[in-house]
Amino acid sequence: MSVATFLSRTSGNRETADRIGIQDVLAYGYLVVGVLVILVPVLWTLFSSIKPETAVDSFDTRILPMSQVIREIEGVGEKPVWIWTAEDGTETLVFKAGPTRRITEVARLDAPEDVFEVPREQLREQEEMRVAVENYLDPILKRNGQETFNFFTYLANSVFVTVAATLITLLINAMAAFALSKYRFPGRLTFTILIVATLLIPASIILVSLFFVVWSFGIFGSLWGVIIPAAATPTGVFLLRQYMLTIPDELLEAARMDAASEWRIFWRIVLPLSLPALSVLAILSVIWRWNDFLWPLIVLISDPTKHTLQLGLTQFAGEFNSDFHYILAMTVVTLIPITLVFVWLQRFITTGIATTGLK
Amino acid sequence: MTPAGLALTILGLAWVVGGSAWLLSHRSYTLRHVPRFFADLLGFPVELSQSLFGRIGVPYALLLPNMLIFGFFTFLPMILNVYVSMTGGSSIALFDRPFVGLEKYRDIFECANILIPKTCSNAGYNFWTGMFNTLWFVVIQVPVMVVVALLTALVVNRNIRGRGFWRAMFFYPVMLSPVVIANIWNWVLHRKGALNAAIGGTQDTLTGLAGLSGFDIAATVLFGIVLMVVSERTLRGERGLSTPWASVFCGIFALLTAWAQPLSLAGLPGSGWLGLALAAALLWLVASERAIARAAVIAFGIAAVLMLLSIQFDAVFDFGRHRPVNWLVTPNTGWPFFWLVFVFCWSHMGFYMLILLAGLQAIPADLYEAAKMDATKPFRAFRRITLPLVMPTLTVVLVLSLIRSFQIFDEVYLLTGGGPGRETFMVVQNIYEVAFSSNHPDYGQAAAGSILMAVVIAVFTFFQLWMTRRQSDL
Repeated sequence: MSVATFLSRTSGNRETADRIGIQDVLAYGYLVVGVLVILVPVLWTLFSSIKPETAVDSFDTRILPMSQVIREIEGVGEKPVWIWTAEDGTETLVFKAGPTRRITEVARLDAPEDVFEVPREQLREQEEMRVAVENYLDPILKRNGQETFNFFTYLANSVFVTVAATLITLLINAMAAFALSKYRFPGRLTFTILIVATLLIPASIILVSLFFVVWSFGIFGSLWGVIIPAAATPTGVFLLRQYMLTIPDELLEAARMDAASEWRIFWRIVLPLSLPALSVLAILSVIWRWNDFLWPLIVLISDPTKHTLQLGLTQFAGEFNSDFHYILAMTVVTLIPITLVFVWLQRFITTGIATTGLK
Repeated sequence: MTPAGLALTILGLAWVVGGSAWLLSHRSYTLRHVPRFFADLLGFPVELSQSLFGRIGVPYALLLPNMLIFGFFTFLPMILNVYVSMTGGSSIALFDRPFVGLEKYRDIFECANILIPKTCSNAGYNFWTGMFNTLWFVVIQVPVMVVVALLTALVVNRNIRGRGFWRAMFFYPVMLSPVVIANIWNWVLHRKGALNAAIGGTQDTLTGLAGLSGFDIAATVLFGIVLMVVSERTLRGERGLSTPWASVFCGIFALLTAWAQPLSLAGLPGSGWLGLALAAALLWLVASERAIARAAVIAFGIAAVLMLLSIQFDAVFDFGRHRPVNWLVTPNTGWPFFWLVFVFCWSHMGFYMLILLAGLQAIPADLYEAAKMDATKPFRAFRRITLPLVMPTLTVVLVLSLIRSFQIFDEVYLLTGGGPGRETFMVVQNIYEVAFSSNHPDYGQAAAGSILMAVVIAVFTFFQLWMTRRQSDL
């Protein structure tokens, strides 16, 4: 077998190997281009977020975080360092001492008073590689004018909303699914149809009156106003119901023989058995709640101590051009937890959602 | 505290205190049963209804919390919407609002010409601008998204290496939040951002190449060879014409037409579109196995050679200096809208791809084996087996993506803020701004807007369901 065959076969063993056809080339081409389109913006954001402020502001498109060296010079102050290449090829470290023109005044680092003139083309930036940790640390530790960005408050709020909403969603959706899958009772069809109907009601058309309802429940402006309205999801009920239908009724009957109450049956038998479906719903719920934007924006925006991470991030948007390095760093911080969840559970997510097949 | 809040508190107290008392009086718990006690307390309403009504009460008690939330936070707002849309003022006390009848709707419909939002009253101007932008967005975005999702699902459903990796990668953007997506793409599409840098770099390289002497001859010869190989492969596929090679050929043909500008001989623009149309027509001819397909491929090959000869490569690559485009800000270019569609597809395609993938995997493999036995070509198999069988899933995807794209708000709001001007102003943004981000909130107006939006969505959904029903019957 030739090397070409070995490299180009797509399936089968040595004898039945399929050679790569044009279809495979087109398919792999599509995949590579698609993944590039998806990953390059994300990776570029990641790499840009560790660049120093000056590099970010000048939109340095190099991958490595290069920045011009800035040196403290006695009696002058902090100055960016340039490399001056003279006519004879010798290189000297200088700083700009005068205004920037075609002919610029510079001085050597070791002799700040000795100012002389050189053409601008002979100057080159002295650069060093430096990971700008301060992009991350400033907003998190509230330094350098980032006092209004309460990172830990936002993080705590986001985590609380995500965890509480997911727990409530899991519990009440599992209860409803249990009722719809394991009992025959008058009105079962009605309830099922009602739940299907909610699937087709877009959240944004009930925005205004949902605001009225949440306000009259007294949970407007509190995290519960974000958690409770979204806790009952038709998707969750469906997913769990489909799964619970596969649990044999004999198990439940056996437990009833042992005089277990219906709640105990649910808690001790049905819930543990539906763990795979529950974890898919848990993942979905975490994604939804962590990424939620419009409803928290309405409910929580007036109280800065209740902002979630997503709302906190939009704070930077107003002062867009000045704080690009902080925006990028905080974007990456918001992106990392969900990416970790994704990397850890991606196999589960992709198969799980594919088998449930609904939003 | 509001009455509803008071009621909630009382209910909570009754649950915990009453539940504990009831449980402790009916069952005996020892110290190691503490976790079990709390589990029982959680299910106290269910336990209580079982003891009161027997097993028949249990399912209702189980459904209660879910139904309460659905009722209060989904169905009640649906009904309230109608009431709110008929009241005025900016009070948030529900029954303190003056009844104004259909005045809010009249404001929206007060137009000299409803198709031109500029002729409407202020409320109507904002609403109809948003509505027409949203409709335009949906009409473009839904087909694009469904086609791309189906294509991706077909590709990752093939027998490829690292299947899980590719699937996961295409799904990844679904996990990202709108804020993160908007920040990332703002960064890419900025005037000095990555996209402009990449385009500028490519154009500089090409311009530099074109300046080399002899480059145009070499490029023409190279292109000629590629063209020859591809058309040869197209004509001598395993069984008649080869569709994949034909698609490569069509791509090259469209590119050549765009470069050679044949319509400019007659002084007309639009050669690029002509090239695309011709390429699509040829691809369709080959894929559907028409008798004249072979002759058409040969004719197109001759046309391609002629166009290749007519191209002066230095003229083709003379792009000049690239001027960075302010993608999201420049008005009247269509770019802000284009990037919205692109970013929306980028971030949501993976989800619909997964649903379609599930649909594709439900198709039994022996159908394809039978088709292979009958020497059916891939495209024919796709049209006769895959498409009809995946149609129910496709309908679900169509309806879901339609409802989802009607609600587009987050990405637009954060990327363009509705600008430049009102080019990307969407209807949900109108609702949001009228009700929540103005100093004089007009909840009635916003509710009237959402009801009109609900009507439009309902019409679209039913139309789509009706259409796909007809199609899947074929």
